[in-house]
Amino acid sequence: MSRHQQADLLQGTLDMLILKVAALEPIHGYAIVQRLQHISKDALQIRQGSLYPALYRLESRGWLKAEWKTTEGGREAKFYSLTREGRRQFESETAGWKRLCDAISLVLETPE
Amino acid sequence: MRIIRRARNWEKGMDTELRFHLDQQIRDYMAHGLSRLEAERRAGQEFGALELAKDECRDQRSTEWLNHIFRDVRHACRSLYKSPGFAAAVIATLALGIGANTAIFSLIYSVLLKPLPYPAADRVFSVETILPQHNAQTLPMRIQDYLDWRRANTAFESFAALTPAQWNLAGDGEPERLGGALVSANFFSFLGATPQRGRGFSPEEETPGRQNVVVISDSLWRRRYGASPDTIGKTILLNAVPHLVVGIAPHGLLVPTNTLLHPTLAFGPSVDIWKPIAPTNDELQAENWNYGILVRLRRGESAERGRQQLQRMLNSSIHAAVPDFTGELTTRLVPIREIYSSQVRLRLLLIFAASGLFLLIACTNIANLFLARVAGRATELATRIALGAGRARILSHLLMEGLLLAVVGGAVGAWGAHSAVRLLVAYGPAELRNLSAPGLNFAALWFALAVSVGTGVICGALPALHVWRKDAAATLQEAARSALGGRGAARLREALVAVEMTLGAALLASAGLLLHSFINVMAADRGYNVERVLSVDLGLSDSRYAPGPRRIAFFRELTRQIQALPGVQAAGAIGGLPANSGAAVAFQTIFYVTDANPPAVAMQRPVAFIRSVTPGYFAASGATLRAGRFLTESEPTPVAIISESLAKRLWPNQLMTALIGRVFRHGDFNGPPVTVAGIVADTRPGALDREPSPEVYRPQTQRAGGTMSLVIKTAQEPAALGAAVRAEIRKLDPDLPIPAIRTMREILSQTVAERRFQMVLTLLLALAALCLGSIGIYGVVSYSVACRTRDIGLRIALGAPRRDVMRWVFAIGLRPVLIGLAVGLIAAVCIGRALRAMLYGIAATDPVSLTLVALILLMTAILACYLPARRAATLDPVIALRHE
Repeated sequence: MSRHQQADLLQGTLDMLILKVAALEPIHGYAIVQRLQHISKDALQIRQGSLYPALYRLESRGWLKAEWKTTEGGREAKFYSLTREGRRQFESETAGWKRLCDAISLVLETPE
Repeated sequence: MRIIRRARNWEKGMDTELRFHLDQQIRDYMAHGLSRLEAERRAGQEFGALELAKDECRDQRSTEWLNHIFRDVRHACRSLYKSPGFAAAVIATLALGIGANTAIFSLIYSVLLKPLPYPAADRVFSVETILPQHNAQTLPMRIQDYLDWRRANTAFESFAALTPAQWNLAGDGEPERLGGALVSANFFSFLGATPQRGRGFSPEEETPGRQNVVVISDSLWRRRYGASPDTIGKTILLNAVPHLVVGIAPHGLLVPTNTLLHPTLAFGPSVDIWKPIAPTNDELQAENWNYGILVRLRRGESAERGRQQLQRMLNSSIHAAVPDFTGELTTRLVPIREIYSSQVRLRLLLIFAASGLFLLIACTNIANLFLARVAGRATELATRIALGAGRARILSHLLMEGLLLAVVGGAVGAWGAHSAVRLLVAYGPAELRNLSAPGLNFAALWFALAVSVGTGVICGALPALHVWRKDAAATLQEAARSALGGRGAARLREALVAVEMTLGAALLASAGLLLHSFINVMAADRGYNVERVLSVDLGLSDSRYAPGPRRIAFFRELTRQIQALPGVQAAGAIGGLPANSGAAVAFQTIFYVTDANPPAVAMQRPVAFIRSVTPGYFAASGATLRAGRFLTESEPTPVAIISESLAKRLWPNQLMTALIGRVFRHGDFNGPPVTVAGIVADTRPGALDREPSPEVYRPQTQRAGGTMSLVIKTAQEPAALGAAVRAEIRKLDPDLPIPAIRTMREILSQTVAERRFQMVLTLLLALAALCLGSIGIYGVVSYSVACRTRDIGLRIALGAPRRDVMRWVFAIGLRPVLIGLAVGLIAAVCIGRALRAMLYGIAATDPVSLTLVALILLMTAILACYLPARRAATLDPVIALRHE
């Protein structure tokens, strides 16, 4: 899988994706990367260098809450889950994203 | 602390989390069949720079502002470290300004403002009598008045009486002469002090025969009895009479010492023994104005009403005792606080004013330093803004620099103030020592800190705001020379230098006036020798040396032996050194022998100090004879030497020589008539703050005082003879306490302690101000030179003589100096007028001091300009033209 086949993430979309994944169940950082990669069929490669700052940012904004739990492998890991406020944020971002996508599609699909 | 711990936990959490991620990745790769090494390599590569990731995580934290502050502190430290001159100048200025002000305000607070350690101290007064005929001179009270008053129903809830006493303490080591007081039985409870051990006095102990009980001071108890609890109940020998110790006074009990309570009541420099007053019937009949009376007003009563009650009782008592006396006496209430601070109050306030001026100078200097610094960094700041630095960050960085300097300067200043207070208390006048160890006044510290730091920060930040408003590119173009270092800012700095010079000149001029006065005071003719004179006080106790032949023989023999010592030119003894005014002498009314009805005229007759002297005293003290003769070894009839001022008051408008052989009586108007044998020049107390007092010197053979001061005139440095003198005294009486043998100069310098205190402090402040001023001038001039390096180079290249360049630089520096100096000298004359009461032998416009001050300031300013001027004159034009 070469680099140019990956989709570049628009700024701000990573936050939305993280919120989406964390909305399902408490999940740790590594699993978030795995899940996003899996769902997007390897199109989305999340760099750790941007994942963790994003996690910390969401946590400090109060959209994610974190707790330390033991994984199946028996190791301590930090599990993130959505707060009530995070859920509201996720919904409004999703709506915004859909509007943006529709708008872009309209522009792109208009015949010349 | 908690913040740090929390930050550390947070870091650990982040580490664990990132490490977990990496490990998971490695495990996954290994599960896909990669070797461990390969898996680790790949995972690491994908993860990227670990530290960078961490840093980005940290940036997301909500507590990130804390890190920003740390970063700013680090940055500020670095940039200050790179300009050590600036940092040192600001810190020194801050430390000096804050230290001086805090120390002096702390003193003022504890001397003038802090409540005295007595319950309801604002209702406690000391009572004095004003003698209307004697230039409003005051007297203390009589014991009768105390007894009358406390029986009556007045506006006062309680009274206490006290009178000075001295004792020779023998046994348990070296014999010792101790200062003490006879007090009313309620003395300790009146002051709200409970003895730390044992008890105070009971009312029955005020009756004669039961009064031989004492309370001793905490310091005597520790020093002499090793703080032993057995001291209570111990019998000690005071003047060879056994006394029972019943109590130990509390540590640090504040009582009047020396002549604080009244000029004619001389307590010792410390009061170590208290004994009840038990007046005998004879004493109750005598007119003895030797008792201090303290009164405490009832709550809500008016002091004036109370004063009138006391005055009425005093007058009716006097009129009953002396029916012929028709005059009216006036009473006066002196607040107890004034007792402890009156002599030092004005001087302390003036020193405070001086330190206030000094703080202003310090602030001006700080403003100047900060302005120059920001101007010097205009380019740097503009570059940073152009490169995208947030303006808030730049401002916060500048503020941080100011705060950092403030913290360091404030800490040094607080430490300095702390040591200064100790030094001032140790070396200042005794009045400061009375008040138990004054601590630092934190309000003053914060105030001084806030003022000086505020100045610095405002001066540092204002130009930064200027940068803020401008757009970066424009600032960059204008660069260092204009914008911040422009004409306006240069003017401002010159004005600041002028202000600094004005304040400095005023301060230096007042210091000069005080110094000149002090020199005059020290050099003034007091009517006795000061150089090469030794003195020691000896007190013969009544029980071992009954008044009469034994005392006479003791001092005659002692002065004879000491006179025979090699190196001694003359030796004598006197009851109370004139230098110490008041101490250990009688203060009596002088009557004409023709006075028929003495009680009626008593208040109109002069009052004089009566001092016993041995014949050798006049030679040893260097007295000047105006008429008649000195005393001889044997005087068969009652004679006296009187002082010039007494002669003039007793027999005005007469020739001195015509007064020899005149006769008078002193004290007791039925006493023997005394013939004037000689008239000597007046003597004045060491501090010179009072008019020469009328004096009567009686031969010791006719009036044998028990307490005398030896006066020994030596051929060489006197201190060397101390041991020999001590040995002679020991030879005559091994049990006699010998206090420190001092030179007359030491005694004198103690009496002028307050004057010296004020002079030295003002001088120190003025010198520090001079240093600050020269730093200010130097800073402004060298900055101007640095800014115009190119101009100067051009001029030199075009052939301007170097002398002209120097003249130009001097003109920059000296213009504000001359303006400041002119204004400052005018201010100095006004200050001189305000100081008039403190001056001695000079006018407020003393030309010597003012000229000297002007010269010193000019010299300093020229010196401060010289270095930058020389630098400018020796500029290499080639290098200068390439500047910037």
